[in-house]
Amino acid sequence: MNYFFQLVISGIVVGSIYALSGLGFVLIYKSSRVLNIAHGQIIAAGAFITYALTVWVDIPIYISFPMSMVLTFFLAMSVERVFLRRLIGEPIISVIMVTIGLMSILDGLIYLTPFGSENFSFPPFLPTTPISVAGVSVSWTQMVGVVITFTLIGAFSWFFKKSTVGISMRAVSDDQMASMSIGISVPRVFGLAWATAGLSAAAAGGIIGNITGLNFETLHAFGIIVFPVVILGGLDSILGAVVAGIIMGLVQQFASGYLDGNWGLSGTGEVMPYIILLVILLFKPHGLFGIHEIERV
Amino acid sequence: MKKKSMIGWMSLLVAVTMLTLPVQSLAGKVYKLGLSLAITGPTSDAGNPYSKGVEDYFNFVNDTKILGDDKIECTIRDDQYNNDVTKRNFEDFISQGIVFYLNYSTGSTLALKKDFEEEKMAVIPASFHAGNLIDSHYIFLPIASYSTQAIGLGEYIVKNHKGGTPKVAMFIHPSAFGRGPVEDLQKAVAAGLKMEIVEVVEHGKDLDNTAMLQRLLSKGVQYVISQTVQSPVATMLKDASGLGLVAKSFGEAGKITFLGCHYTGGNDLIALAGASAENFYWTTSYIVTNEPSPGATAQLELAKKYNRDEKAANSHNYTNGMMVAQVATEVIKRAKAAGKEITKVTLYEELQAMNGDKAFSPGTTVGPVTYSKTDHTGVDTLQLYVVGGGVFKSVGTPFIPVFAEKIK
Amino acid sequence: MSSNRWLATGNYFTSYKEEQRIFFTSLDRAAMSLLLLCLFIWPFFIVVDNKYMLVIDNILVAVIAVMGLNLVTGFAGLISIGHAAFVGIGAYTIASFARVLGDSHALLTHAWPLLILIAGFMGAVFGAIVGLPALRLKHLYLAIATLSFQMIFQWTINFMNFFNQGQTISVGRVVWLTGQVSRSQHYIFWYYAILVVIVFCGFAVRNLLRTRYGRCLVAVRDNDRAADAMGMHPGFTKVYAFALAGFLAGVAGALHAYLYRGVGIESFTLHHSISFLAMAIVGGLGTLPGSFLGPLAIKVLDLQVERLSEWAGAHLTFATNLATALRPLSFGLVIVLFLMFEPRGIANWWRIARSYVKLWPFRY
Repeated sequence: MNYFFQLVISGIVVGSIYALSGLGFVLIYKSSRVLNIAHGQIIAAGAFITYALTVWVDIPIYISFPMSMVLTFFLAMSVERVFLRRLIGEPIISVIMVTIGLMSILDGLIYLTPFGSENFSFPPFLPTTPISVAGVSVSWTQMVGVVITFTLIGAFSWFFKKSTVGISMRAVSDDQMASMSIGISVPRVFGLAWATAGLSAAAAGGIIGNITGLNFETLHAFGIIVFPVVILGGLDSILGAVVAGIIMGLVQQFASGYLDGNWGLSGTGEVMPYIILLVILLFKPHGLFGIHEIERV
Repeated sequence: MKKKSMIGWMSLLVAVTMLTLPVQSLAGKVYKLGLSLAITGPTSDAGNPYSKGVEDYFNFVNDTKILGDDKIECTIRDDQYNNDVTKRNFEDFISQGIVFYLNYSTGSTLALKKDFEEEKMAVIPASFHAGNLIDSHYIFLPIASYSTQAIGLGEYIVKNHKGGTPKVAMFIHPSAFGRGPVEDLQKAVAAGLKMEIVEVVEHGKDLDNTAMLQRLLSKGVQYVISQTVQSPVATMLKDASGLGLVAKSFGEAGKITFLGCHYTGGNDLIALAGASAENFYWTTSYIVTNEPSPGATAQLELAKKYNRDEKAANSHNYTNGMMVAQVATEVIKRAKAAGKEITKVTLYEELQAMNGDKAFSPGTTVGPVTYSKTDHTGVDTLQLYVVGGGVFKSVGTPFIPVFAEKIK
Repeated sequence: MSSNRWLATGNYFTSYKEEQRIFFTSLDRAAMSLLLLCLFIWPFFIVVDNKYMLVIDNILVAVIAVMGLNLVTGFAGLISIGHAAFVGIGAYTIASFARVLGDSHALLTHAWPLLILIAGFMGAVFGAIVGLPALRLKHLYLAIATLSFQMIFQWTINFMNFFNQGQTISVGRVVWLTGQVSRSQHYIFWYYAILVVIVFCGFAVRNLLRTRYGRCLVAVRDNDRAADAMGMHPGFTKVYAFALAGFLAGVAGALHAYLYRGVGIESFTLHHSISFLAMAIVGGLGTLPGSFLGPLAIKVLDLQVERLSEWAGAHLTFATNLATALRPLSFGLVIVLFLMFEPRGIANWWRIARSYVKLWPFRY
């Protein structure tokens, strides 16, 4: 039974990190209908900036972490300004391809730095003995990660529900024409959406970087892992990303916890998300919480 | 005015090149070699220092005139871990007339195996996959295969375990690279290696291994042999040390001792796992730079001569690249000393004659490099290292796994 | 038909049938014939290194795959981020035969044209299956469905022992009228083989676009409800667009398997799907010439960048990082710059050049 609870806890921990990674993705999609393939690279960039500030500039991590979030905020904003602003109104395929091109460009830029092909790890700043309750344990890094995740998600929810800017972002996602007519600057909202996505990606990158160490491959793979999460949750729902992230984390943990090693199966945790993804796409394509805009032909 | 001076400079440049070209071709012969590897893309954290090792050593050979007036010209190409590009590079090297080829990944070595056969080109890859040698006459592993390494770790466990049959789990990369040694280790167990393989875990992009570790512990597993790359091992070690599961001494009861093959270890692991890497056991045939030895001195001096940073200089992949270049240089030197013409045929012969008195000790490995017609594995000896105080330290003396021979 | 058979200034059609002609003027036909002739005879006059021959063959294989991608993404407007997986299906069809029969079985070495066709049909079957979600999904969701097919394909190959867990499954040398194709003839032989396939496929696709099935694709892309109202069946159209794309991809995969004499998963990853898309975009989505120009441009760029980065690595010692970063940087920049400044791709330049000739001596 202990094992079961451990799987649940681990699943929630991993899932909330997925949720945070997926959040940035949803933020961009929600306001500007752009599928950002380069999200993994932004996550990696966030992690590297945090490391560079912490170790090379020697800033304590509780300052450098928010600093890198701010820096990535502006990085993502300028990415939108330079690459995507010109493509407003172009067909979807062009926009997807631009983010693919962006992915390559960011790859190239990261290879210019030592992070492209070297490994690093954050200096430990939390106690290494995990929090253990009745045989179920979580490490401090993961715990802090979960706390940051939920704080950020709470903050974003508040931001979208209450603040003027957040409401205007929601308005744009509902109807661009109408928002423009009441004086909301749509391009500015797009820029902001990218910027907030960058902010959340940097947070995700910082947390993942603390858990796995800094390896470019491992980090940018999270850009692909978020796809099943955001589809399951619905591409345009923040709540969806959170719930789906946690479901995905649980499914992965249970799959590898109970299936692997039996009946000659192994590595099922890797593929489970994609099987769920396929099922969801076939039967409920708008996801759990997405807006129903699918049609039959 | 500006245009005129431009033309002046251009003609000067042309004149200089015209002058230097024939001079170069007069001074000694040039032997062409080729290396295709992943400097960017997947596994570039290993490929990058590897390429530096190769490049620096050949520069060293040319600068210090080890081959007299003759020079080695080794073209290094980035294939981004893409087999199709590796093949393209290989074809290019062949048309350039290379006499020796250095390859990199397991995938591309297997993909090009037939081409090596047909071209009769001796090849040393950076992959120690045992399957490279099946049906092949021209592939030479620089050091003991992953399978031998895993078996070596198994033997060490059996020898040092106290009380009963040791229970072992394997933590592997989800690919043929990771799965390769599993079967061979199972064969060794069947052939009488007294241990039990309880579970084989294929890792994904895991953020949390707590459940997996607890499962292994509940099954009584005391040893985990890893065959993968550093990043997943680092994550696992962090979780394990957080949970206090890492054995402080080898085979401590109720805890888990973590061990790994060549690509799981090295300074990259310590860079990723930090303090959690303590007490991780690692086996390879290469020396480490933090323990004084002639090879370590040579490596550090080489890296210093060509202005490499600390990280590259102390990387075991830099050692790896350097050693491969040493072997290539050595066969050319020997063929030259024997008065043979340097071709792929003579180098292949020299490489196969590298045994007995003619065994080669490059200094960067813990044992001599030996090849023969039947033995295409270079260094058969392995050395066990353990992380203590943030560095890898030798445990015991170099050894040769006995079961590796038995299961052949 | 205008009175001058060689140069027709402007359009002069008296029936819709005339508008659908493949060649508008004799100049068109002559130029095409000359181009084909050149493509077939140049190897007799120019000897090329194996490396470049391999690159050329590789471009031709990519042309077939991109033709397929252009059908589904360019003409039918259905985004596919899993095209490399379809190519992989074709290659792994050949590999399965090699695995079951042994890599030099007579079926593989003698009946290879048949096997290439079978691989194409396997591609078509999988294309149709993956196309099924297209009945309900649109735009982004479909893109993600194809992406997940790519992921599941990779995992399956990696996991199954039958497919050698993604490691290379070798394929034997084929036999032709003159006996076994030796290593020295290999690339030139496959150059001709692939060229013949391309000529067939090219004319087939060109002709398809003249038929009602082809026009159906475009109609469904532009407005599927309108297409429905006009009596077309958008669902069926989408599925067969995927099937056709799968067929061409399967053929390309089989040719890839024979050309490289082996099949490994590393040649059919997400990265390759992205490259195919890049080729289609740079060439020009929804155009046939684009399917030829795109692969050519991307592969030539790759070679040139390799050369440049080698030069940079050799001459600027501080620039090793720069040299390695050049490739992803240039690839990304080319995609982005094309999308920003020439979204209709290189095919648009071709179109402009053609219309210039067509209107000559007048300027528009």
